[in-house]
Amino acid sequence: MHKVAEVEVQHDIMVANRKLARKNQRILDKDRVFSVDVVGAIGSGKTSLIEAIIDAVDYKIGVIAGDVISKYDAGRFEKHGVPVVGLNTGKECHLDAHLVEHALHDLPLEDIDVLFIENVGNLICPVDFDLGSHMRMVVISVTEGDDTVEKHPLIFQDADLVVINKVDLADAVGADSDKMVSDVAEINPEVQVIKTSLKTGKGFDDVIGAINIFINEN
Amino acid sequence: MHELSMAQAIVDTVLDAAEKNNATEVVEVTIEVGMLTMLNPEQLKFLLDVIVEDTILKNAEIIIEDVPVEIECRGCEFTGLANTDGSDHYLAIVVCPECGERNVEVLTGKECNVKTIKIEKSDEDA
Repeated sequence: MHKVAEVEVQHDIMVANRKLARKNQRILDKDRVFSVDVVGAIGSGKTSLIEAIIDAVDYKIGVIAGDVISKYDAGRFEKHGVPVVGLNTGKECHLDAHLVEHALHDLPLEDIDVLFIENVGNLICPVDFDLGSHMRMVVISVTEGDDTVEKHPLIFQDADLVVINKVDLADAVGADSDKMVSDVAEINPEVQVIKTSLKTGKGFDDVIGAINIFINEN
Repeated sequence: MHELSMAQAIVDTVLDAAEKNNATEVVEVTIEVGMLTMLNPEQLKFLLDVIVEDTILKNAEIIIEDVPVEIECRGCEFTGLANTDGSDHYLAIVVCPECGERNVEVLTGKECNVKTIKIEKSDEDA
């Protein structure tokens, strides 16, 4: 004879990730490391932006390079002489707090002031996964089309800084970068939006300045 | 597409709870999915059906309940169901229904919660 019973489980998978994220932040805070989760579309210039920041600032930077196959980006960062951990996500489309925790153990946190965590190029899945970073910077570019913000609103809702890159190409691809700025403001009125071109240098100092404000406020 | 990893985490959670309660079979699983998650319930259900093969969940009915977005408004202190701009399940922009403020604290709508399971257990364990 069998008996059917109902069992209250109440286990939230998302909460499990958020708890791990808080643990990551405690690990970072212990060594006074400020961390930036860099999310954005594929090919928007996330890696190039982080490379340019490494070369421009005098604080000590570390990088976690997350990608489906991470060795390419990790190799680029290594050339700048900073500590790097590549995180292969394999079939996964995003980093999660558990993967980042492993990477934190492999970094010399005592020698890092600011840790950039480059997420997998994706405007959808990272929304669900807090990593424990202190700020989230979303990087998109005009070449993805000027409707990319309105098509992916949730990633902008939780953003602390938005960079619209490659604005020097806007005319060539027929994109209206002002529309992208106002679309972000519609979704998240509080967030600072900076138009950049890493090629011409436009807006780059403003990105550094904006990150510095977050670092100083932390 | 992180439904597969979420589906695996759900199955692991259910199997763990089932084992702790000496279940011989799981007949029903109820999962709450918040409307602000990037999870597609249809895909989640499909993947759960695929990965439960060869487990004591294989005949379980999977019930997915949508969790609406509840907020606390930082503008007018309204607490309750938010206006979600557009009806699309996954791409809601959260707005206070009272004052239109977008600066709100989201109280519910971001969960992927294994709520309850119904299990069969042998009489000796009951």
